[in-house]
Amino acid sequence: MSDPSHKLSIGSLLRRPETGSFLGLAAVFVFFTIFGGTNFASVSGAASWLNVAASLGIIAIPIGLLMIAGELDISIGSMVPAGSMTCAIVSGHFGLPIAVGVVAAFALGALVGLVNGLLVVRTAVPSFIVTLGTLFAVAGLTLGLSVLITGTTSVSIKAGPEAKFLLGHFINGIYQVTILWWIAAAIFWGFVLHYSPYGNWILAMGGDKVSARNAGIPTERVTIVLFMCSGMSAAFVGLSQAILYNSAQVSAGQSYIFNAIISVVVGGVLLTGGYGSVVGIVLGTLTFAIVNQGIYYTPFDANWASLIIGVLLLVAVLMNNTFRKMALSYTPSRNPSRKLK
Amino acid sequence: MKSKVMKAVLLASVMAFGATAATAEGKMIAVVGGKSDDAFFAKVKKGIDDATLVVTAHGGTVNYLQLQTYDNLGGDAANLVRTAISQGASIIAVPDWVPDAQDEAIKAAQAAGIPVILYNAGGADKARELGAINYIGNEEYTAGLAAGAYFATHGMKNVICVNTVPGAQNLEDRCKGVADGAAKEGGVSNQLPLPASSFGDPTAVAEAIKATLLKDTTINGAVTVSAADANSAATGIEQAGLTGKVALASFDMDGAGLDRIKAGTQLFAVDQQPWLQGFLAVSMADAYINYGLAISNTPVLTGPGIVDSANIDATLAGAGAGYR
Repeated sequence: MSDPSHKLSIGSLLRRPETGSFLGLAAVFVFFTIFGGTNFASVSGAASWLNVAASLGIIAIPIGLLMIAGELDISIGSMVPAGSMTCAIVSGHFGLPIAVGVVAAFALGALVGLVNGLLVVRTAVPSFIVTLGTLFAVAGLTLGLSVLITGTTSVSIKAGPEAKFLLGHFINGIYQVTILWWIAAAIFWGFVLHYSPYGNWILAMGGDKVSARNAGIPTERVTIVLFMCSGMSAAFVGLSQAILYNSAQVSAGQSYIFNAIISVVVGGVLLTGGYGSVVGIVLGTLTFAIVNQGIYYTPFDANWASLIIGVLLLVAVLMNNTFRKMALSYTPSRNPSRKLK
Repeated sequence: MKSKVMKAVLLASVMAFGATAATAEGKMIAVVGGKSDDAFFAKVKKGIDDATLVVTAHGGTVNYLQLQTYDNLGGDAANLVRTAISQGASIIAVPDWVPDAQDEAIKAAQAAGIPVILYNAGGADKARELGAINYIGNEEYTAGLAAGAYFATHGMKNVICVNTVPGAQNLEDRCKGVADGAAKEGGVSNQLPLPASSFGDPTAVAEAIKATLLKDTTINGAVTVSAADANSAATGIEQAGLTGKVALASFDMDGAGLDRIKAGTQLFAVDQQPWLQGFLAVSMADAYINYGLAISNTPVLTGPGIVDSANIDATLAGAGAGYR
């Protein structure tokens, strides 16, 4: 996909998967800078959408990779509160060190991901259905166990200064430290997708799973690992929210399902798999967060928020689609024998 | 002889098909309610569970029919009422969240001879209109009036009412009450409706409130329609650098909110005492179907009660025991 022998030109730049999403992002940013006034463009305004984008973005990247590989994981909607509650119950209710709560939340995320992955590769049931099942199952387990153990659906947690510093403080008083974790995650996943053999495997699996397996790619192992990563990412967002807001609720996270998928699609990933980039997903997440939060800086009546969100997201995706079509239908004229996939 | 057996088999199968729970010895009370992972409905459910002890002692059963999501509140609740009818409930307790969507199902229950009690949402006027036995709960508009007046009389004259589920009748009534209550005391209140894409994401709610406060610096009060949203609002106010300048209040409350009231960073909470709603709805339903007992007052109001620095200690004690 990213062939270093390509000559850098305007044309090749325009055909990169993330160009469309960048233009979409630029369009909504300009829109809100015009209508949002000085507060939107201020540092505090930027924090508004960066904070929202950070936790969404950490989940959106592994979801995007799953979608590129032709799978989907909607159980994250339950994994966010499950990770949150696990950390709060272990470290808040039982008073164990915060590290134990963090490890427990990660372990749960990995376990749920493992179950998702095994079910998907062993049963060949579409991952949407499998993870729909685990979405409800994990939600039920979280509620049942929380009430059984603590007798309530909302547990408070007081994290120590180290945990607060790493996971739950505001840089300069306004930027959530989660933003740095998001950047770290983006760099890690960018390396995996674009510079490691795993990346080509993931893209190939989304393009044609059977051929990918025949070519010797361990498709089952890659699928399971991807599900475990999305489970752990959701658990991470959950536990960092618990530490940030000093409390965990049983139900908080269903909106992440749709919001993550929207971010990934706005970021230029094909719903059918086989095409996309990490930078695109990051830009898509930023676009969604700006559209979702920017509206409060504008003079528009908030009753119209959903309408404006819908229209702007459509504009962003349409812009993206135009460029993707250009990229996918492009055949280099000088070297007709070379195929671009 | 043979026809007698046939009749018995037929009767048994009809009973098994249509009315498993409504067998001769026990009456089944159907209660339609919110998700029990919703902190508020968890307390309602606790009241229901406590009242179930009495129902069981009287030989009856309680069937709690809960919504799976709040995405299609009215339609889903109406379907649960119809489920209760087909299960052969003896009486149905249901919140009338979205009257336009639910009233038809409630009338269908009554047409099938099943009495209905409204609780949690709906109000006395609705109960009279539908011919329900009673309404147990809060009058949302009255609660809103109390909140608006409390703000205005304590010096907060420009208040936003943060609504995370715009369109739900009880939440709209709360915000309208806040506006009217504030207006009576010379204040003003506008609603801040948030889209569904923000529901359940505390950061999105917090940042929306922050942005609104930065945009209009004359706002000096914010009230949220739920306890969890108040946690987000507290962060939003803090991030806007307006702690101490913008007073926070919430409809309903949780541990974190009570801690804020104790610490002085939240002005007050409007409580509708959810445990009482579940407990009274089920015990009154039980008394009515078994013995024809009914309370003569309509409505039976369980709120609004204002929790502020004056009564926070007693409230905390109740919260510790899991009833508030």
